[in-house]
Amino acid sequence: MTCWSCQADVSEGTASCPSCRKLQPVGRGEDYFSLLGLPREFALDVSDLERRFRERSRLLHPDRFARAEPRERRLSLERATRLNDAYRYLKDWRLRAGYLLRLAGTDVFVEGRTYADPDFLEEQLEWREELALAQADGDAERLRRIATDARERLGRLEDEVARRFADERWYSDFPVDIARRLSRARYYDNIVADAERASGVAAHP
Amino acid sequence: MARAIGIDLGTTNSLVAHVDERNRPRVVDAEEGRPLLPSAVFYGPDGAVEVGAAAKRRAPERPVDTVLSVKRFMGRGPGDVKPEDRGIYAFEESGAVVKLAVAGGTRAVTPIEVSAEILRVLRRRAQEALGGPPGGCVITVPAYFDDAQRQATKDAGRLAGLDVLRLLNEPTAAALAYGLDKRAQGTFAVYDLGGGTFDVSILRLDAGVFEVLATGGDTHLGGDDFDRVVARTLMERGLEPRHAEPSPAVLRGAVAAAQRIREALTDEEVVEVEVDLPEGHRLRARLGRAELEALIQPVVERTSAACRDALRSAGVAKVDGVVLVGGATRTPLVRRHVRALFGQEPLTDLDPDTVVALGAAVQADALDRGGREDVLLLDVIPLSLGVEMMGGVVEKIILRNSTIPASATQQFTTYADGQTGMVIHVAQGERELARDCRSLARFTLKGIPPMPAGIARVEITYAVDADGLLRVSARELTTGIEQQIQVKPTYGLGEEEIEKMLVESIEHAEEDVTERFVREWRVEGDRILASLESAFRIDGELLGPEERAKIEDRMRGLRQAMDGTDHLAVKAWIESVDAASKEFAERRMNKHVAQAMAGHRVEDLATSLAAQPRVTGSKEEDLENPER
Repeated sequence: MTCWSCQADVSEGTASCPSCRKLQPVGRGEDYFSLLGLPREFALDVSDLERRFRERSRLLHPDRFARAEPRERRLSLERATRLNDAYRYLKDWRLRAGYLLRLAGTDVFVEGRTYADPDFLEEQLEWREELALAQADGDAERLRRIATDARERLGRLEDEVARRFADERWYSDFPVDIARRLSRARYYDNIVADAERASGVAAHP
Repeated sequence: MARAIGIDLGTTNSLVAHVDERNRPRVVDAEEGRPLLPSAVFYGPDGAVEVGAAAKRRAPERPVDTVLSVKRFMGRGPGDVKPEDRGIYAFEESGAVVKLAVAGGTRAVTPIEVSAEILRVLRRRAQEALGGPPGGCVITVPAYFDDAQRQATKDAGRLAGLDVLRLLNEPTAAALAYGLDKRAQGTFAVYDLGGGTFDVSILRLDAGVFEVLATGGDTHLGGDDFDRVVARTLMERGLEPRHAEPSPAVLRGAVAAAQRIREALTDEEVVEVEVDLPEGHRLRARLGRAELEALIQPVVERTSAACRDALRSAGVAKVDGVVLVGGATRTPLVRRHVRALFGQEPLTDLDPDTVVALGAAVQADALDRGGREDVLLLDVIPLSLGVEMMGGVVEKIILRNSTIPASATQQFTTYADGQTGMVIHVAQGERELARDCRSLARFTLKGIPPMPAGIARVEITYAVDADGLLRVSARELTTGIEQQIQVKPTYGLGEEEIEKMLVESIEHAEEDVTERFVREWRVEGDRILASLESAFRIDGELLGPEERAKIEDRMRGLRQAMDGTDHLAVKAWIESVDAASKEFAERRMNKHVAQAMAGHRVEDLATSLAAQPRVTGSKEEDLENPER
């Protein structure tokens, strides 16, 4: 590829031209991982991710290009948008896992849905009932406990998903297995949100 | 080089600031040796326009021709203006934008023009102080301003001849001024209660990065509301002659008196007032601080829910500091309230009236120089942006509190067989149903080739820029037909509705969710049943008898579940119908793709199809959509 401004050679994935410093368009082959200079892996150090995001933001953010020529302003907006989208996806383990599955060609939606099982739905009804009762009683303590329990389930789901991604032997049923857990996580996320909203207290990170 | 300026365009007062030679932000004297320029514009019958204190002094005897608190009308259509805001003013009802009839009814001006008058004066003052025309400019807006309000503010800046580099959220500006001044680190809340708007933002400050984690607020809540309730009580106590419904001029005089009393009660325990009001009225009353606090307590309490919600959204249990912004935070009751809410003494080192303008100046200076190496602002979008689905439910495309600039894409499909158009209704807000959200724009994607329901793929992309302004594009994937619009809303809700919308979204979240789920899954069930029935008619030969019996069996189960109110049961049945018909759907898709490629008329396939385009989209991904 060549730089649009000075015609120098630019390799794909480079944010700015090494010779004239002008921003380059996002390459076709780039994904959320490559935009942050990370390998396509589920395991991720959150503080490292944060550091990379901020480093890149400092260079790409439209604030740096308010006085640049229109084309560079546009490229800055495009790059910063993609960078923010990438950060939003990678910092949340559910989105990160879903994204990895999509990159690998698995339709998370279809897989997660086909395999929803009645036992799980039954269990969800019980959680919901418990939540409704605690809310009707205005029992903030019980609501907080429900939120804590649901968070604990989420933690377990994350661990299970991480273990499958980390497994050297990538069994063919793993994508479906992971998709199913992501689908379950959404139910627990909703419980946490509803229980915390109802208990009227701030969340713990 | 011309110096950049930062402008705080406030409901009650406006200010302009710049960064001096020693890199310190400074406010410019706007008039009478004070930095505060009252946000008041008087239109005389002779065409003369006065701005600031002179205009404000005209207000008692010329209430209709003196526009105060114009910020409340920004980005609003004629239908949006609520009775209590209309009060004094005469409106021109024609056209898409609010117009105020001023200058004795000889002139009609939009809020954008009125704001531009204020901005022009600030630009002149800056020019005098800087010794030359200013360079670029940053104008602040409440963090909770929606797309229409932001667009109107930017338009006003352009109208005033300013080179608007960026719109900046007020709490973020305050945090910038404060953080740089104090070299602060950690998590902070900015509590901004101005004349007419309330904002709260939670930010993380770390090594020069100002990252907004969450924001909340109310665009119709502020010190003006204090004055209104106090004025009512004062008039009950001592207006002579008595009036059940005082005229606009009398009312405005009483509100002005209430404001003076409230400010005096910050330092005094009891204040007595005796003033002449227009039309031969007199107001004589006495008010103690405790009485004042009892009157304004309900207004102050209305800020609590937004604060708790912002903390929850930020995932933060407590903050390292609370910064106060806005004149109304001088009120002792407000300070006590903030202390109780956040469990600590609020920080008041910087003047709450000027801190926003100072932050805006810092940002303007940085933008003008191509950014500062040591500072980075990462702001968020305050309200979720979504698209209306079949059944009136809003599918959120970009969630609130996403760092901007941001974009997101989602695929949707047709709801009915042969559907050739899709109405894309862009809505902003947190409520689940479109009728409860702010409507931003509506457009139709036409020219979708008629296909069985659920086959067409329409991709909708939302992109929000660094000013928080939205652009929407829609593309039909099989044909590549694309439409793009810059969302420039010309109509929408009033502040009162927005306020209601915000408060309700917190209070009714639970009720919404249940209602939403039931509706959503019924719509989904209907869609699946209808599309399978039509599929049987068109492509019945692709199915074996046993296969078909199995699918029909499950369809019966789904119909029964849809008669009930348990959305999880409906969902489970949909899943089972889906699983049973998955192969059939694949066979059909292959067949139709092959036919389309072979150049068959697609209409041939659609014998039982509706002739007219059905408009609303149907979501392809549902609850499992990963980003929600």
